[in-house]
Amino acid sequence: MKCPKVHLVAAGLMIFVPLNAVASDVKVIANASVKADTISAADLKRVFLEEKNSLADGSHVEPVLDKDRQVHAAFLQEYLGMSEDDLQAYYRTLVFTGRGSMPKALGSDAEVVAYVARTRGAVGYVSSAANTEGVKALAIWTPSNSAERKLITRVEPDYPEALKRLNIGGTVRLQVSISAKGNVENVELLGGNPILGESAAAAVKKWVYAAGRSRTVAEVSISFRGH
Amino acid sequence: MHRRIAGLVFACFCAGQLTLQAEDFKLLDRNVEIHGFASQGFIYTNTNNWLTMNTSQGSAAFTDFGFNVSTSVTDKLRVGAQFYDRNLGHLGQYHPSLDWAVVDYRFKSWFGVRGGKVKTTLGLYNDTQDLDFLRTFALLPQSIYPTDLRDATIAHLGGDVHGRLPLKHGLGNLAYTAYAGHRSDSIYSGYEYLASSYKLYYSRMGGLQYGGDLRWNTPLKGLLIGASRMNEDLTGKGTFINPFNPDAGLLPESGHSKADWTNQFYGEHTVGKLRIDSEYRRFLHDERDHSGVTLLFENVTDVRGWYVSGAYRVMKRLALGSYYSRYSVTSVTRGPFALLFPPQTDTSQPANHIYDKVITARVDLKKFWDVKVEGHFMNGYAYSTYPDGFYPQVNPQGFKPNTNALVIKTGVNF
Repeated sequence: MKCPKVHLVAAGLMIFVPLNAVASDVKVIANASVKADTISAADLKRVFLEEKNSLADGSHVEPVLDKDRQVHAAFLQEYLGMSEDDLQAYYRTLVFTGRGSMPKALGSDAEVVAYVARTRGAVGYVSSAANTEGVKALAIWTPSNSAERKLITRVEPDYPEALKRLNIGGTVRLQVSISAKGNVENVELLGGNPILGESAAAAVKKWVYAAGRSRTVAEVSISFRGH
Repeated sequence: MHRRIAGLVFACFCAGQLTLQAEDFKLLDRNVEIHGFASQGFIYTNTNNWLTMNTSQGSAAFTDFGFNVSTSVTDKLRVGAQFYDRNLGHLGQYHPSLDWAVVDYRFKSWFGVRGGKVKTTLGLYNDTQDLDFLRTFALLPQSIYPTDLRDATIAHLGGDVHGRLPLKHGLGNLAYTAYAGHRSDSIYSGYEYLASSYKLYYSRMGGLQYGGDLRWNTPLKGLLIGASRMNEDLTGKGTFINPFNPDAGLLPESGHSKADWTNQFYGEHTVGKLRIDSEYRRFLHDERDHSGVTLLFENVTDVRGWYVSGAYRVMKRLALGSYYSRYSVTSVTRGPFALLFPPQTDTSQPANHIYDKVITARVDLKKFWDVKVEGHFMNGYAYSTYPDGFYPQVNPQGFKPNTNALVIKTGVNF
């Protein structure tokens, strides 16, 4: 079978912003009602500071705190950049001026997981070793200036015949989660024709990158321009 | 019997047997929260009496408390209310008030509306000035947050639009508030108390209040800078005794502001356990007072204040802080009653300024219970047409130029 000629912009791949996933002592979890599988560190902070109660996909979110001292301290340091006293003062400012509420705080990882599992929109955190059955783990990403991951194996996407015949092309944008070993763990369509996106995602899932220090989230653009 | 009970309660607090915690309960499947606070203070001054209390003998007429109830009705809609009461010497006098009662709908993180009786956003601490437990100091810098004039700025009956806008290119975010409403002062407030020293008795004081606040959470971690503006159109109504004709008895009096605005600029930097704040405020008040159609006087008062403060958490239960605060007032009066109000334009005079050096220690006995010990070393007493802590009624012998004050305050919150 002839390989469809697919024009790929910028030598076949455009990575806009290499985004590093944060390797951490804590795991961020969410109720199944939260549609996203990833969340930026900035948005996570805004959720826990009650500046944001919904994500871009429309999912309602509300923060849940873990009172386990170590887990809580690790989360504060890594994601909020605040001390416990400052965080409590912040929440009390919201409560006593009528601008927010005191988030639910639970005593252990198991209690946090149970609460998040049954509460719509709940977003919490537990130790990285905790059993998180019944909830989803959110990958956290931050923009960084580190060098992009080197692509070792690239599989070209198929150009669906029906669209090619109709000369329907365009650029699709994908968010790609890459494991530390270099496998593509997850692909999400960020924009573009959904049928082309499906084809692009199927190909990108077979890509292999060079091993890195930690999980990485990258943005990839692939253009389809048939002849 | 009461002393035994109080002693037992105190002993239980110390032994950790008693605790205070916020309550919540379910109502119609919504989580309803209840929170509260209370504080008790004691002030001793070595010369002038301060804040309408008899502080030169030591005074504990320095109490306040409040509680609030709130809930989220939907994901975007919140309602709540807080009741508040206080006594500060001759002010407050335990007349409880609705501190705030708000319906808040957040369309998006960058746009929300709230209405009702809403705490006013003005500078860093206007809306939280009663909430001692949030900060190291027993008294906020009185040059910017005069506790005797709390009513002038604390809340408005009206509405706000508010939101937070993230900025591109990692430039942080902007938080904005714009508001309009009606201000209504308690007659047990400082301005009304000062007016009574001139035999002017207000039965009501208030009016239109509108303005905005814009603050930038900068990309530099822990640095916030901002600015606030408030405009007012106030009317006061009451009675007065004409000092040139006291036999005429009580006559009607009304005052109306021609211009009334406040500009405030502020910055806050938190680095680890250290917090540094600084603010500047200018308040201009131009008012005309009449009795019937007869002009009594026109007065322009220009108040300027600023402070720089630092607070450091030394250990889990101990924080230390210090601030330097400067306040100056000028006042010029015209009209038939101008004789009663000599011009005050030289801010180097003690009557026209207060320079306050403060040092504080805060100890957290429990998570919910704190004690503060604070020293104030004040130069000046700013006795003018606009008050700032020193009143002639409690200083009938006149004012001394310097006042040192010891403030001890304890508070609980849940």
